[in-house]
Amino acid sequence: MEFLQVIILGLCLGFVYALMVSGLTLIFGVMRIVNLAHPILIISGAFVSYWLFIKLGLDPILSVPAAALAVALLGVLLYKLIFEKNAAQQTYSEMTVLLTFGTAMVIDGLLAFLFHNTQRTTSPGYATDAIFIGDIFIPLAQLYSGIISLVIIIVLAVFLKYSEFGIAIRATSQNRTSAELVGVNVKFVCLISFAIGCALAGSAGALVSFVFSFFPSRHWEWIAILMSLVVLGGMGSLTGAVVGALVLSVISSLVGAFYSPAWSTMVFFLALFLILIIRPMGLFGVRTD
Amino acid sequence: MVLFSFLYITMSSSWNIIGGYGGFISIGHNVFFGIGAYFSGFIYARYGISPFYTAVFAGMIATFFGFGVGLITLRVKGPSFIISSIALLMIFRTLFDRWELVGGAHGITLPHNNLSVEWSKIPHYYALLVLMVLSILLSWYVRHSKFGLALRSISHDEIKSEVTGINIKIIKVTAYAISAYLIGAAGAIWGDYLTYVRPNIFFIILIAANMVLMCILGGKGTVTGPIIGTIVIIFFNEFILANFGASELNIFFTGLLMILTLLYFPDGIIGSLKKRKLLPGFLDWD
Repeated sequence: MEFLQVIILGLCLGFVYALMVSGLTLIFGVMRIVNLAHPILIISGAFVSYWLFIKLGLDPILSVPAAALAVALLGVLLYKLIFEKNAAQQTYSEMTVLLTFGTAMVIDGLLAFLFHNTQRTTSPGYATDAIFIGDIFIPLAQLYSGIISLVIIIVLAVFLKYSEFGIAIRATSQNRTSAELVGVNVKFVCLISFAIGCALAGSAGALVSFVFSFFPSRHWEWIAILMSLVVLGGMGSLTGAVVGALVLSVISSLVGAFYSPAWSTMVFFLALFLILIIRPMGLFGVRTD
Repeated sequence: MVLFSFLYITMSSSWNIIGGYGGFISIGHNVFFGIGAYFSGFIYARYGISPFYTAVFAGMIATFFGFGVGLITLRVKGPSFIISSIALLMIFRTLFDRWELVGGAHGITLPHNNLSVEWSKIPHYYALLVLMVLSILLSWYVRHSKFGLALRSISHDEIKSEVTGINIKIIKVTAYAISAYLIGAAGAIWGDYLTYVRPNIFFIILIAANMVLMCILGGKGTVTGPIIGTIVIIFFNEFILANFGASELNIFFTGLLMILTLLYFPDGIIGSLKKRKLLPGFLDWD
């Protein structure tokens, strides 16, 4: 029974992780930018929710759109200032990774300077509640965040699959030149998909604010965690990211429950290493270079 | 500050071997720094052998690790390599945070040496000076040897290099291991200088970020680039600390400087000057 319990908790967290990486994998797919600034954008979203909660008493779940919008605007600003020049070519370059690395440091330093590196978390009423199904208890915070993440991911998947703009995004990520030939405005697609990626980070941040405790410098740890998820799933593939997130989250929860919580994050880092040895392009990925 | 410059010149010159000449950007290179510090610190705390003797072996241990890790991570390139280097750093951070034998998150505390206060840092000064000179010589040698030529050709195109008969795997892994050596030795000395070795001092990404930034600002793939870059960054950091005081702002400005350099001077100071033929001859060691 305890086994099932742990798996359910792992799955709930897994969907949150999936939401966290969905934006990352979208941005990589379209622009070949490995956005190391993604985790700090998530934390920025968490801060938006945090302040809305503290000042206005707004429920973090309701502040998901606000956080998404705020971070998306930040993303557009960053894109215009920093990435526009490099997003123009589709080939991957080391330089853009270092650019995102620098961006992450800038936002990290700014947030830490303004708000200090203290542990924070929003605490809506349900944060400490749980429901029981038979012997299994599910904390409401995890349950709600898992469900909301799932909904957002499904909306994203449907948008990418069926809407005209979603098709344009997928076409651009498959082959930029051909997409341009059939009349896709690639520059605009890049801008919007960067903004969508950042909005996903922001909405994940709002959920993270009551599931995990957060502080600005925590994003270094999350960089490695999120990267392990996308590398497992294959860079640029949304399905892969979701599957990778669920699998690793469940394994990490199992390790945390049956071995020691201290080692549960190690699962992500070791997985990242093992995948690089066995299958560098990920389980669902294709070689991009 | 002088000690700091020596330390970082050693590290950024060593990083330059794999990151600059080889083109493999590693944002987790301070793993070797930490390994060196832990190895020597552990031996000093347990058996009382001074890190000045064990630094040589600390470097070897770091090289050994570099060889093993390189065999795994250098199979991939581009984004995967950068990500794997961060993962490596996080693995070691987690490992040393939990490893009770070496003190867990509190690390190892080392005894002070018994010299008087004004003399106590003199041995570190000379040790780091020697390491710095060695690192510059090594960097110069790699730049001008056949080995370095092979390495630079790998950074441009691996497949073509392999066709011309270069054993790319050996070259890559060797370069990675070599660049680990002096960083490991420097870590041993630095651990003794600080008199404590802790995961949250040695295994933080900021050290690696500094190494990368110093190389890029100075001009990666050049011998003098990391030296100039390091001096500029150290002065810059001191300036920030003196004027604003907060270490968080230091991170902010380091990141900002990295972005600006990458956007406007991707070749770094030395590279840009060289392009405009303004580089004074005594700085041109390539």
